[in-house]
Amino acid sequence: MATTELPLPALPEAHHEEPGGIVDYLTTVDHKKIGILYIFTSFGIFLAGGVLALLVRLELAQPGLQVMGENTYNQVFTMHGTLMIFLFAAQVSTGLGNYLVPLQIGAADVAFPRANAMSYWLYLFGSLIVLSSFFVAGGPAAVAWTAYAPLSTREFFQGTGMDLWIIGLAVVGVAGILGAVNLVTTIFRMRMPGMTMFRTPLFTWGVLVNQLLILFAFPPLTVVFALLFLERNFGAQFFDPTAGGSPILYQHIFWFFGHPEVYIIILPIFGIISEVVPVFSRKPLFGYRAMVFAFFAIAALSFGVWAHHMFATGLVYLPYFSIMSLLIAVPTGIKVFNWIGTMWRGSITLSTAMLMCLGFIVVFLVGGITGIFLASPPIDFAVNDTYYVVAHFHYIMVGGLLYGMFAGFYFWFPKFTGKLLSERLGRWHFITFFLGFNLTFFFQFLVGLDGMPRRIADYQIERWSTANLLSTVGAFLTGVSVLIFIWNFLVSIRRGKPAGDDPWEGNSLEWVTTSPPPHHNFHHLPEVHSERPAFDWRHRDDPAFAVSHTDPERNLDRG
Amino acid sequence: MPRRRAPAARWLAVAVAALLAAGCTPQSVTEEGRAVHNLYNLFLYIAAVVFVVVSGLVIWSVVRYRRRDDELPKQTHGNNRLELLWTLIPTVIVLVLFVFTLQAQDKVLDQSGQADVKVTVTAFQWSWRFTYDGTGAEVVGSPGTIPEMVVPVGQTIRVKLVSADVVHSFYVPQTLFKRQAIPGTENTFDLTFDKVGLYHGQCTQFCGLQHPDMVFRVRVLEQGAYQSWLAAATRRSAGQPGT
Repeated sequence: MATTELPLPALPEAHHEEPGGIVDYLTTVDHKKIGILYIFTSFGIFLAGGVLALLVRLELAQPGLQVMGENTYNQVFTMHGTLMIFLFAAQVSTGLGNYLVPLQIGAADVAFPRANAMSYWLYLFGSLIVLSSFFVAGGPAAVAWTAYAPLSTREFFQGTGMDLWIIGLAVVGVAGILGAVNLVTTIFRMRMPGMTMFRTPLFTWGVLVNQLLILFAFPPLTVVFALLFLERNFGAQFFDPTAGGSPILYQHIFWFFGHPEVYIIILPIFGIISEVVPVFSRKPLFGYRAMVFAFFAIAALSFGVWAHHMFATGLVYLPYFSIMSLLIAVPTGIKVFNWIGTMWRGSITLSTAMLMCLGFIVVFLVGGITGIFLASPPIDFAVNDTYYVVAHFHYIMVGGLLYGMFAGFYFWFPKFTGKLLSERLGRWHFITFFLGFNLTFFFQFLVGLDGMPRRIADYQIERWSTANLLSTVGAFLTGVSVLIFIWNFLVSIRRGKPAGDDPWEGNSLEWVTTSPPPHHNFHHLPEVHSERPAFDWRHRDDPAFAVSHTDPERNLDRG
Repeated sequence: MPRRRAPAARWLAVAVAALLAAGCTPQSVTEEGRAVHNLYNLFLYIAAVVFVVVSGLVIWSVVRYRRRDDELPKQTHGNNRLELLWTLIPTVIVLVLFVFTLQAQDKVLDQSGQADVKVTVTAFQWSWRFTYDGTGAEVVGSPGTIPEMVVPVGQTIRVKLVSADVVHSFYVPQTLFKRQAIPGTENTFDLTFDKVGLYHGQCTQFCGLQHPDMVFRVRVLEQGAYQSWLAAATRRSAGQPGT
């Protein structure tokens, strides 16, 4: 097979001079650098949110108030949720997507590089506005990350911190919408010749659906924040029942964003797992098309389930939201089974990235199964707003998101830097994280079932203290695992073993270019005949994998 | 490789035991709650089977199909029959769970019976007011003094739940039930306690500074004891108008 020289207009001049250093990163419109800016910024926010989480766990280690007062505690858990959900979880995958999507589809950059830079800077300054609320009189918002009205209105919660919270998140929301327009356009319009939609790597599919969800879910969020801002500052009464407003309206709009948000966070992770598992099983992804359809099924259902967060209001039609929520288990199950199908009769290497995937599947399974319980209104009446829910969504958000992120990071770090992360430290990272994470959150299921409510600085029931203490120990062990990860990063970026262009025998196009890729991404691109162009290129001389140029379904052994 | 398999099996056994231990919902003290308890256990048994099967398959694949040489395994891309199977089985499972959900829900939310006692519960920052309809009896708490909702055993208590300010949530863990108190809205539900006792209750919807202090208790008394309590409470409330 011949390599195809890219048509010249697609590429900037081959010897592009870059200024380098800080100025370069401040002025860059290169998707790879913007991706790295996103990843570093969101990781910094993750560390801040993690410190807040440890403060929460310190306070809850024993009954009574030891470390902080109620007001500080309320600020701490509110900002923990805010930083993690809005400013980290929904953003880190945008960073990875920024870096990887153009590489995976054989493009030189995203569709709108300047808008891409603008998205990032809006995200950064929006985040700084939110963070600045720590330094104003009265401190930051203390009304939980959901900011239910009327609690979040000026009548019940004064202070500039709350307004900065709203403004900052609205700015980040606009950044998200702009970024989504950019990435969706990139995926639809910038794929290289031969890269049909059904040959696009699963991570790119994950990012596509994730960004489409952002496109539909962030505008309602911006709306509800605008309403809240008007209510707080200009006397609007959208949520005031004495003036014909409705507190329940806030919950509806918020969760219409809030539930798709969960999938905004987790779909790119599904994409990462679907990239890493085939590579380390040395088999193609099992049921590629089913995986793509499952993405869309999940995305479509995610807009019909928001009121399962509101079962306990007594004001929503329970059977509809219950069955829709239960049905999400089906496409999600398809994904899990297809990952297992990929590993089945494969040739599995337990690299750190693969270990992280296995960790992901197991903890995500627990998170998913407990989600089924919560989709049933009577069970939800019992455990809603208790630590059971806290445990459930942390199994998705911490177990799922972080395992997936770590898997992706160990997998693509060689591509970003040309160096390998230490596998030995990686294993320690995996083990400490697995133990720490499960210790933290498993016992929260038990206290939750026993009735411990969330968002309380103090608990009067003595028998909850053992579980809480274990949970706190686990949280600090999780903290240690993150330190090991940072240590691994620092050591490897200086003294890591050279990775070469394709250390894992990858499948998608990023593995045929250099590590790190050149400014315009590719010097040469192979022809694309399947969803594994790098695999095809590696086996171009092997008659067993000979490529028929006319039959796109060639070699497709579907059992 | 028995040495590798043994810890995996042990790990799985621990995980399953832990998962089952997680199933200890507190025994319900109301008729309505018993339906929730049974439903929860049904979910738990099915969940345990699913967890064991799926994580077992993961562990088996990793142990059995570890890379041993450089030879590429057979490059299979899928299997329509299998994929159909693992689409249909979960669909059937969730539909079954849905049917049981609907049945339990009807029991929990049923208000067709005659109410024996009607209590209006008002949630406010940061305590509770319990008003006994038609008697003038009233109990009011404050963040420092924990109020008690006193009710007779074996009788249908119809709670009318309202909020005086922000969104709260009325929750007595051992009833396995909660409901939000939303300003501008009246929520009603029935509780039928079948055990005499004193039960912990708490607001579970974050409602501001002293949310953790928004605790109350439910004291379930025999009918006679309840009547004399009610008479005393009515006299007390009449003596302190406006509280």
